[in-house]
Amino acid sequence: MTVLRTDPERGLALCADLEGARHTAETALVELPGPGDVLLVHAGVAIATLSAETS
Amino acid sequence: VRFVDEFRDAALGRAVAGEILSLVEPGRHYKVMEVCGGHTHSIYKYGVDDLLPANVELVHGPGCPVCVIPMGRVDDGIAIAHLPDVIFTCFGDMMRVPGSEGSLLEAKAAGADVRMVYSPLDALRIAKQNPDREVVFFAIGFETTAPSTALTLKRARAEGVSNFSCICSHVTIVPPLRALLESPDLRLDGFIGPGHVATVVGARPFEFIPADYGKPVVVAGFEPLDILQSIAMILGQLSEHRCEVENQYKRVVPYEGNLRALEVMQEVFELRPHFEWRGLGFISHSGLKLSEAYADLDAERRFSVPGVRVADPKACQCGEVLKGVIKPWECKVFGTACTPERPIGTCMVSSEGACAAYYNYGRFAREREVV
Repeated sequence: MTVLRTDPERGLALCADLEGARHTAETALVELPGPGDVLLVHAGVAIATLSAETS
Repeated sequence: VRFVDEFRDAALGRAVAGEILSLVEPGRHYKVMEVCGGHTHSIYKYGVDDLLPANVELVHGPGCPVCVIPMGRVDDGIAIAHLPDVIFTCFGDMMRVPGSEGSLLEAKAAGADVRMVYSPLDALRIAKQNPDREVVFFAIGFETTAPSTALTLKRARAEGVSNFSCICSHVTIVPPLRALLESPDLRLDGFIGPGHVATVVGARPFEFIPADYGKPVVVAGFEPLDILQSIAMILGQLSEHRCEVENQYKRVVPYEGNLRALEVMQEVFELRPHFEWRGLGFISHSGLKLSEAYADLDAERRFSVPGVRVADPKACQCGEVLKGVIKPWECKVFGTACTPERPIGTCMVSSEGACAAYYNYGRFAREREVV
């Protein structure tokens, strides 16, 4: 999912999936993302930030 | 779309398929197990198997979290769901898994307050909105999902939400793989490693497969090009007489995993001595329970559950499917008595189940040219 905006105080990110649907993801288990970052979200919790450099 | 379009490129897919063809040894039959149900789903959704030579056979593994839940655990969940003042929450596909006397969906139809949630955090929110009722979350899944449950329990503890608890049926991937490798029924040449589990645990836990059993492992992503490339990497290892863990999914999987997720799991969970898997029986140290520090949030301690082992229906061959011994279409009830609308076995319930993948995308055995 692509991060649209973040709420660092609550550790949340508003994200859009491939179809454009919006979801809130918990970001406690990854480095705080920024808008445009791509997260792997599982059961509402981000477990990885995708890296273009290592693809 | 970044990270997606480039991994669904048909021309690149055909090029990798050509590379696979060049790597196979004529006359040799290769059996490669994709461990994860997400891979099984992608293989049939995108027709990856149609691009492989007939002597490269994909065998489906036990990595569908819903499929491995035994009937007795479903019965435990239903027993709690029927208690007065309980709101029982679970993921959507778990609602349709058959227990010995019906599913959670049927319990809901009979009056139990069963609610589908997308995340355990949603279940915690329901608990905060309903302080006069007990809210129970049916936690299932491999190491991919367990951090989400662990984080939710930590939050429940921090926020003092005492009416929330969890029936923990999380499982770990390494013990069933070891059990499969010890099985005399199955001869495998290599493994497509589970990319999302490895996101959390890393690639290192799979090193026992080449070290102890001499089989290559390639941790792979879930797009068609990921899967094709991982098969090429496995065949490359075999042709070069190499045997190691390789990471095809480097854009997501760090070799050491997600250390924050592992830390939170370490705090909240501990290994059960034994856990029953549907079709695989009891496997030592393969299931998670809540640690003593979180025991007060354990629904199995808070409520009385039957805890009875229930045998699978005789007609259902999910066990053989989960072990990769038979293909879904070889099961007697596949596509007739057992369909996604009215499943008998768990493998037909979840979209990650091998039977559901065959039913939705393939259905029958296919003739392919032997190299």
